[in-house]
Amino acid sequence: MRVIVTGMGVVSPIGIGTDQFWSAAVNGISGIKKISSFDASNLRSQIAGEVSEFNPSTFLSPKYIEQTDRFTQLALLAASLAIEDAGGLDTYAPQRVAVSIGSGMGGFATFESSAIRKFRNQPVPPFTVPRTMANSAAAWIAIKHQLKGVNLTCSTACSSGANAIGMALDLLRAGRADVVVAGGAEACVLPLTMNGFEILHALTTGSNADPARASRPFAKGRDGFIMAEGAGILILEREEEATHRGAKMYARLAGYGQACDALHIVMPNMEGQVSAMRGAIEDAGMAPDSIDHINAHATSTPLGDIVETRAIKNLFGNRARDIAISATKSLLGHTVGASAAIGSIATIMALRTGMIHPTINLEEADPECDLDYTPNVAQQKNPRTGLCNAFGFGGNNASILFTTLE
Amino acid sequence: MDTAEIEAKVIQFIATKVENLDTSTISRSSKFEELGLDSMDTIQLLFDAEDTFGINFDSEEAKGFSSVGDIISYIENHQAPASS
Repeated sequence: MRVIVTGMGVVSPIGIGTDQFWSAAVNGISGIKKISSFDASNLRSQIAGEVSEFNPSTFLSPKYIEQTDRFTQLALLAASLAIEDAGGLDTYAPQRVAVSIGSGMGGFATFESSAIRKFRNQPVPPFTVPRTMANSAAAWIAIKHQLKGVNLTCSTACSSGANAIGMALDLLRAGRADVVVAGGAEACVLPLTMNGFEILHALTTGSNADPARASRPFAKGRDGFIMAEGAGILILEREEEATHRGAKMYARLAGYGQACDALHIVMPNMEGQVSAMRGAIEDAGMAPDSIDHINAHATSTPLGDIVETRAIKNLFGNRARDIAISATKSLLGHTVGASAAIGSIATIMALRTGMIHPTINLEEADPECDLDYTPNVAQQKNPRTGLCNAFGFGGNNASILFTTLE
Repeated sequence: MDTAEIEAKVIQFIATKVENLDTSTISRSSKFEELGLDSMDTIQLLFDAEDTFGINFDSEEAKGFSSVGDIISYIENHQAPASS
């Protein structure tokens, strides 16, 4: 039984909609700028990947806007784009349409603003809880499109989107749904959340004056990730049904691997990453030799990029240098729970177009990062298989494998 | 704020809670139920009013509200006097 991607929707700092996103990606455009949504002068990291042209009032009624957090609004737009791209889902019984969404933080914009009010002894908005809860994006997608099947939310930090897509694959294989709206959404370019990541020394602090060059996965001198927001949604269905309804077919979702380090709450670990990648490849009934492309987790933290490089070398051996690797976060920053969903769309577009988008800001690589990361310029490599990696806090490692249709 | 301004604000708040509501049909005698406001919408409406008019609704009294006029009258009777 094969599962096919039949629709895609993306809302990102480098573009809304797959065409705009992919055009910016292959041209190596950075979406990182000085933070505009709040006064960030008290933060050490004052830059972010914001979706500055996003305006919820262009597609949502005042009622939706009042009752939804920004992460839900981003998810709603990406879901609408994906469902439209898939030609609509009206041929399916609503009870057979599932939703599976990942988000690391959920509605933290609401949480932070309500907390401020509480500490100032001002009334707390009644929709504080329904807007903050992590499953609100999945719930609102269901409400807006009347999708009455399984409705799941996965919150595994930075790997949330990958696990949500992997869970969708499991739902389709188990016959618990006929089609799944799956992906991730995040909107935590926020003072408290960013401060929390800053204290962990996870965010870049040395590039406030040069935002476009701040995110530099695998490069010498990188100093942390750049917070970003966005959403990515895929429409996934079994090949038989997709063929029956004459759906457009982008790629095959062939495998999903998952592994927990069970070691440390925030530090990455090579073994877990190897295990997740191997798991995805074996789940697809393939061998490591068949992997052509990796959309790396690659957040631009000093340690993380080295560990992922080691993991790739450990799993693929001498072939590691032949694999075209690319870091979408060099363009967007880190969209946390949305990152692997957006990374999946980049992976699928690489399979569709043959182009690997560049890892930008990679003039000089870290000596410990010595693979082919597609530095600075897109490459025509015609990959037939692509892994999308996502490694999150909690030692949570996920990898998903996409292939071309043949 | 005078009565007309309070009424206009309250109607504006109601319009954000119900999809496709013709605001010209809203009057002081309109019942929440007729307008399609559910209990969560009403709680949010009271929050909007508290935030805008700087008042606090007595929760027991607010439980008895059933019409737009009930809220407007409460605001009229409880808003702080305008500073001169």
